[in-house]
Amino acid sequence: MSAVKKIILTICIALLASAAAVACKNVFSCRIPIHNRGIDAVTKAGDLRVLFIGSSTFRSNLDIDLLDEAFDDKAYILAYGGNQYVACDIQYDELKNRGAGPVDLLVLEFDPLLLTEEVKLSDSRVIWDLSWDGKKQLWEKMADSGNADFPLFFEYFVSAGMDDLITYPVTEPFYATRYNKGAKTGVTPSSGMEYLESEPFDISNVQIVDAQKEALLDLIAKCEADHQNYVLLESPHYHRLQEDPVYMKYHEQFAAIMKEKNVPCIFAEDTDFNNADAAFFEDMGHMSTEGRRVYTQELIPLLSGRD
Amino acid sequence: MRYDAFMSLISLKFAIFLILLLLVYYKVPKGHQWKILLSGSLLFYVLSTPLYFPFIAISIVSTWALMKNPKKSHFILTILINLGLLIFFRYSVYIGIHDLIVPLGISFYTFMTIGYAHDCYGKKIQPCDNLLHYALFISYFPQITQGPIGTYQNMMEQLKSAHDFDMTNLKEGGYRVIKGLFKKMVIAGRLTYYVDTVFTNPQNENGLTLIIGVFFYAIELYADFSGYMDIACGVSQMFGIKLAENFIRPYFSRNIQEYWRRWHITLNEWFKEHLMMPAVTSGWNRKAAKILGKIFKKAKKGNLRTVCPLVLVWIITGIWHGAEDVYIGWGVYFAIIMLFSVCMMGPMKKVRAAIHWNDENPFIIIFQTLRTFFIVLMGEVMFRAHSMTDAFAIYKNIFTNTRINGATIAAALTPFGNGNQALASVLILFVLIGGLFVVELLKEKNADAFQKHRYLYAGAMIVFTILFGVLGQSNFMYQAF
Repeated sequence: MSAVKKIILTICIALLASAAAVACKNVFSCRIPIHNRGIDAVTKAGDLRVLFIGSSTFRSNLDIDLLDEAFDDKAYILAYGGNQYVACDIQYDELKNRGAGPVDLLVLEFDPLLLTEEVKLSDSRVIWDLSWDGKKQLWEKMADSGNADFPLFFEYFVSAGMDDLITYPVTEPFYATRYNKGAKTGVTPSSGMEYLESEPFDISNVQIVDAQKEALLDLIAKCEADHQNYVLLESPHYHRLQEDPVYMKYHEQFAAIMKEKNVPCIFAEDTDFNNADAAFFEDMGHMSTEGRRVYTQELIPLLSGRD
Repeated sequence: MRYDAFMSLISLKFAIFLILLLLVYYKVPKGHQWKILLSGSLLFYVLSTPLYFPFIAISIVSTWALMKNPKKSHFILTILINLGLLIFFRYSVYIGIHDLIVPLGISFYTFMTIGYAHDCYGKKIQPCDNLLHYALFISYFPQITQGPIGTYQNMMEQLKSAHDFDMTNLKEGGYRVIKGLFKKMVIAGRLTYYVDTVFTNPQNENGLTLIIGVFFYAIELYADFSGYMDIACGVSQMFGIKLAENFIRPYFSRNIQEYWRRWHITLNEWFKEHLMMPAVTSGWNRKAAKILGKIFKKAKKGNLRTVCPLVLVWIITGIWHGAEDVYIGWGVYFAIIMLFSVCMMGPMKKVRAAIHWNDENPFIIIFQTLRTFFIVLMGEVMFRAHSMTDAFAIYKNIFTNTRINGATIAAALTPFGNGNQALASVLILFVLIGGLFVVELLKEKNADAFQKHRYLYAGAMIVFTILFGVLGQSNFMYQAF
């Protein structure tokens, strides 16, 4: 065979192999069994008394053992890093379309800062778990927000999640030990008062992103239309962030909108949880094991009457 | 402010530019090929930094015109013009001028012009009689961005000559381009995030994280820089022109002198040829060596005469990278290491003979290689740190705060990303770095390894680059210099 033919053949085979891997990832990744977290696991969990949909805050701040105890082993958390409202909206549809069992109470995360996030891919697991249609929908939302250039397109459809896919046989058994029904299982120590009091954060310039606000309202409208019992839950942040004027401004603004629309909410201040206690926090938004336990105990009575 | 890559060697624009240029190059009559290369090179330069084209033009025209008659005054004037431009653009930021974009490749083409002028002045070469030929030598696009620093003797004949289309050149060149893309986009690209995170605030990192960060930086720098060289050499080979090699598996060096013979070879050759050698034979150095001889009475004369030039070359090498304290510190560090190494050569020879030291013993080879790599890593801490304060914090944490337990391992994994991806990223990186190590090791043992099944390797690298490559990092690290 001539060198030209060999070169063309090599390039074609390489491109075909890559395309096949990319197609497999995009079409079949949602069907790869993940037993203890993600959309597929929720659909296989059957009837649930309470399902939480949110970001890593839910994953870190809720004690699944206490929730299971309170809700007859029928609690589950669907959480992704920085899970945005545009993604939550699509995840809700996916759960319905992929045959998830009835949920007595759906708990959606309420965090004003999630409303200020640019529409983006916050966690490659989001892509992994979504069906092809879900992936396309999320991409369209990113494109509509003007956040879709070629490198991002490439990352979204080609490289994101590829590491997980290739290493799945090795990494999944390890990850399986770190999660239980979507919640973190490992011990998370507090980072200590000194760290928490000095950890820098700057939210002075954040703005509400329309796409996120619309997605949240759309999600609420879907719950209403489906007669899905639901509640918005604001998980407490460490007091420095919770009391930040910008945070409070957006919090009050959206609390007012929710009140106007009669949306059921549980705000951070509705519990007696002490968010100034450094022992309860790992960082501004994520709790330590102790914080998670105390907060979940406080939360359960507020949820129990609603399911 | 640095040059913003308009036509990065890893961009689609460059790929289109390259294909079109190749088509025209092999289509035109052979006598005109060099004109196509010159036009392509100038176009590449103008498209990259149009406003700064006049400066390379000044450098080319003035050097060529002055060195037609290579007398001392012309030589000095050439140096002043070229160094003046380089110093103005590279160091103006230190006198408060912040808005200048450094012209594309100014460091590298300045070295080439000075090297050319020095060789003309020293009568090593005949001055170039054609301005356009000389312009092509200086502006040749594959090497303009960050080298290799070509010599007139090596380059000019190749650039002027006619080249038949040769499938082997296209094949081999393409293979090297693929290899370079793989190194840059897959290995260097994936390490960048970890390295950047660790070096941003090293005071807060534990020793284990810093050790991994420094190790990753060494790999990142090598993959990035040698990846660029593979692309540049590969592209050039497609035109039938062989560029000088800049890297020969430097991390397998057994001593620090060998390392600098295998890392950024053309720069070190340039310093040796145009700075070190003239300094060694200069009158001021002889006087300095005499003074040193009075202080170190037992030292060998030859060693004493290398002391000042070595220190000078290394400090200038440091300053060439930047006038920040870290680069000067890095230069001083290697000057000390090199001096120590030169001074210890004699005594160590005696010790080795006394203990029947066998240089071919595998354990000794491994020990020497690891020792050299460790010395290089310690130097690279300064090279990458934002300040000497950061560099000292890194040394301090590495040597006093390195513990291996669950908490430090968890902290070391954090810069890989959130918990969901960390392990997968670690495994992929482990395989990639391990693969790179095995490939380099096998090539170290047999330079012809991997000559067979090249199509298979090329195909595998294409697949890996597509699936695991990081897009959007169009700049190369050494472009900044």
